[in-house]
Amino acid sequence: MNRKKWLALVMSLVMLFGLAGCSKSADTTKETTAYVGQDWSSDNYNESLKNTVLNLYGVSDIVRPTLDAFEQDTGIKVEHLTLQNAEILQRLINEGQAGVSIADIWWTGGADTFIDGAQKGLLIPYKSPSGEVLADNMKDANGYWHGTSLTIVNWVVNKDLVAKKGLKMPETWDDLLQPGLKGEVSMPNPASSGTAYNVITSMLEVKGEEAGWKYLEQLIGQIPFFPARGSDPANLVVQGEAIVGINASNGDRDLEMNNAHIALVYPKDGTGWWPQPVAIVKGTKNEQAAKVFVDWLLSKRGMEAIAKDRNAAVARLDVARPEGIIDINTIKLFATDFKANAEKRDTILAEWARLMAAAGR
Amino acid sequence: MGSGMRRYESLLFKLFYFLLSATILYFIVAPVVSVFVYGLTSADGVGLSEQILPRVWRHMKNSLLVGGTVTLLATAFGLFASLALWRLRFVGRGLMRILVLMPLISPPFVGSVAFIMLFGKRGLITHTLLGFEVSPYGFYGIVTMQTIGLATLAYLVISSAIQKTDVTHEDAARSLGASEAQIFRTITLPLMVPEITVAAMLVFLASLSDFSTPIIIGGGFQTLASDLYIQINGLYNMRTAAISGMFLLLPCAAAFFIQRYYSGRNPVYSQAVSADVIEYQRVSRGVKTVLIFITSLFILFVLLQYAFIIVGAFTERWGYDYSFTLRHFQTIITKESAPFINTVKLAIPVGIISSLLGVLLAYIIKSKQYVMSRQIDFLATLPAAIPGILLGIGYLVTFRYPLLGAGRFYLTDLDPIILLGTGIIIYLICIYRYLYVGMKAGYALMEHLNPNLEIAAMNLGAGERRIFIDIIFPLLKPAFSAAFLKNFTSSMTTLGAIIFLLLPKNKVAVQQIFTIMTSSEIGAAAMMALMLSLLSLVLLALFQLLLNFKALAEYIQEVRQWGSNSRQSTKHTGG
Repeated sequence: MNRKKWLALVMSLVMLFGLAGCSKSADTTKETTAYVGQDWSSDNYNESLKNTVLNLYGVSDIVRPTLDAFEQDTGIKVEHLTLQNAEILQRLINEGQAGVSIADIWWTGGADTFIDGAQKGLLIPYKSPSGEVLADNMKDANGYWHGTSLTIVNWVVNKDLVAKKGLKMPETWDDLLQPGLKGEVSMPNPASSGTAYNVITSMLEVKGEEAGWKYLEQLIGQIPFFPARGSDPANLVVQGEAIVGINASNGDRDLEMNNAHIALVYPKDGTGWWPQPVAIVKGTKNEQAAKVFVDWLLSKRGMEAIAKDRNAAVARLDVARPEGIIDINTIKLFATDFKANAEKRDTILAEWARLMAAAGR
Repeated sequence: MGSGMRRYESLLFKLFYFLLSATILYFIVAPVVSVFVYGLTSADGVGLSEQILPRVWRHMKNSLLVGGTVTLLATAFGLFASLALWRLRFVGRGLMRILVLMPLISPPFVGSVAFIMLFGKRGLITHTLLGFEVSPYGFYGIVTMQTIGLATLAYLVISSAIQKTDVTHEDAARSLGASEAQIFRTITLPLMVPEITVAAMLVFLASLSDFSTPIIIGGGFQTLASDLYIQINGLYNMRTAAISGMFLLLPCAAAFFIQRYYSGRNPVYSQAVSADVIEYQRVSRGVKTVLIFITSLFILFVLLQYAFIIVGAFTERWGYDYSFTLRHFQTIITKESAPFINTVKLAIPVGIISSLLGVLLAYIIKSKQYVMSRQIDFLATLPAAIPGILLGIGYLVTFRYPLLGAGRFYLTDLDPIILLGTGIIIYLICIYRYLYVGMKAGYALMEHLNPNLEIAAMNLGAGERRIFIDIIFPLLKPAFSAAFLKNFTSSMTTLGAIIFLLLPKNKVAVQQIFTIMTSSEIGAAAMMALMLSLLSLVLLALFQLLLNFKALAEYIQEVRQWGSNSRQSTKHTGG
């Protein structure tokens, strides 16, 4: 052994003892060369991380196959817990204050929640080399989060009922105003769901502020009631309670594949979208492994797994689009401006309340 | 020695009472107070304070409307079903006694989905068969779903006490020439006031604090509890949620005190210790038909729900393609099995411990004059009035501090005893949240126990412990059974309260159903619900077998006798 290696050994022993009470996260075992797997690489990966268990919070249950693929590649196991956006935020705030580390990573959810989390100091910034290829609107400038799959506002349509009632299959937003759809359109309540609020702002972006409000005023007349959760309209359409549901889609191809009577339609005149991010939770005792996870997930290998398992469009452009998923280059897409939305929130909701009151709701 | 022993035993009861009271303060009152304080001081709240009160008031009216209607309907159903299934004798009674309990073991939101698929705008029955196109969303949807779910709770409470009915009063009246209608109105019904009022109160509290039914089937009609859920999960607004929670406590407290006022007024004790034959011997055919009809109607609804679950689980696509498939079964078995195991590991201890503690507490509060017992009674009932999600946040914000939450202001460096992030906290919240069920079931029954019984036993030299073990507990067994049934199944299907405390490694099965449900996978959700229901059923059957081995043997005997000798009225005496 040469002197350099001896020195490194002594140094790492010193660090090991010095940090014994702290956490395993100190990068004592970090290697300087990147680990390169098939279609993925990580500066943080080495064999010693095998059998590490990472805990993940997220809003989706469909992440399991992707997590299993990650375990196959790295030997790092991921346990996931499915919660709602607000529940995740509540838990992270309180667990952070308690110094109790449960989650290491947070993946899937609304980008607005991640932005909120970053502002509240719940996340660790990490600019993953795999994330460099992502467009700027797919990631946080400071590295607090990176987008993975995309949420796109679309319509879930009950084809059977459209045919049975002799309606025009909706193609543009104005098609939702056809008389035959009165009482048959479903949209979540923007005053009770973050997702629904983003849906509203998307529509304002597609139509423009003034025309947008005029449109919404007419649309309200078509909608019998406004369910509380963003996921409700899709369910209502599948169950036949409504014919068209305005939906924030994370892929949702399963809806179409499992239900012969359902079609997913992307408005031809444009729609809104936002990314589903991944982030590392502050306080994690497995920071190195968490970084490997982010590196892997943002790599071509990871995004391909996401595209396949979730049937979703993903943030990387070098990943083939799954069959049946809209080519995002063929529709006008409006990236949700979360900062502007947060600032305008009160005004927008007040205007919404005014329209509702005017419609006698 | 005898008196020394007695003093020692009395001390034991006292110690138990004070320990349990202290933990009630700790695991119920502290989290409830904490969540209100947390909500009100939270900076998350959107500044719409002038809109909070009108909003609360609007939803409060809806809550009271739903709560009042459901309480009337569910308690009436529970009463009719109890009378029919315990005081009448007819073929198929044993089966119906099991079927009437079925709503307990199906996850609540599955019922709502079944209702939509059967009676919705394009439901199988209302649309496909009858041609209507009426939306089930709103007030009627909520009332129907809650009534079906909570009638079972009412039945459970009323029937556990009805088994201790003392028919001697009725017989006396009968021999004095009173008509059956007179007897029912002036004797039977007044005698049942404790159990009826307890059932009504529990139904009312459960209706008011239920947020999942209005969320799923309320449409534009939301209640205070569901709005509170929306405030937390949709708007991230803890302040309005906390205010809604406090207002929710007002009608609940009122219900609690009204019940206490009514039940304690005319105590009538049962002389009978053992179960006599309580079936009506002479009841008019019309009354019998009506009672059985109403009960059957209720059971029909329940069966329809299960028919939906079974058909949905084994066919391609409900409403569109009814060809047989095992696809959903395969979907489910490829999922993790750990959540199912975790669910069972949670439900069994919680069911046993919370029911046992609850019944014990009921006994102590009713029979011993310890200090503060009325207050403890109220505090232990508190979780019934609070939506699970709010109590869950209460636990989250209370037990994130060291020393089990007490070290909030000191000892901040002592990590090891933070409850948050451990598995124990999930057991604690479930046990304390359901404590009241055993307690109330115990009360309803205790109202019929003659305190002279204890005095007599004491005069014969029995210690308090002996009295409890040999006399009181056997009498309270129906209350324990009923509470176990409710608490076990509640723990199997609870989500709101524990969602803030679960760890990725101990997640529960109901969560998967909920996620599958929101992803519109009706077939897979139905399959999952079916498996969870079957699991509950098997475990409950095993438990009943253990608890009532003797009774079961007698029951089989009874059925045999009845079959071979159906004309002759059989008289059996139970243990």
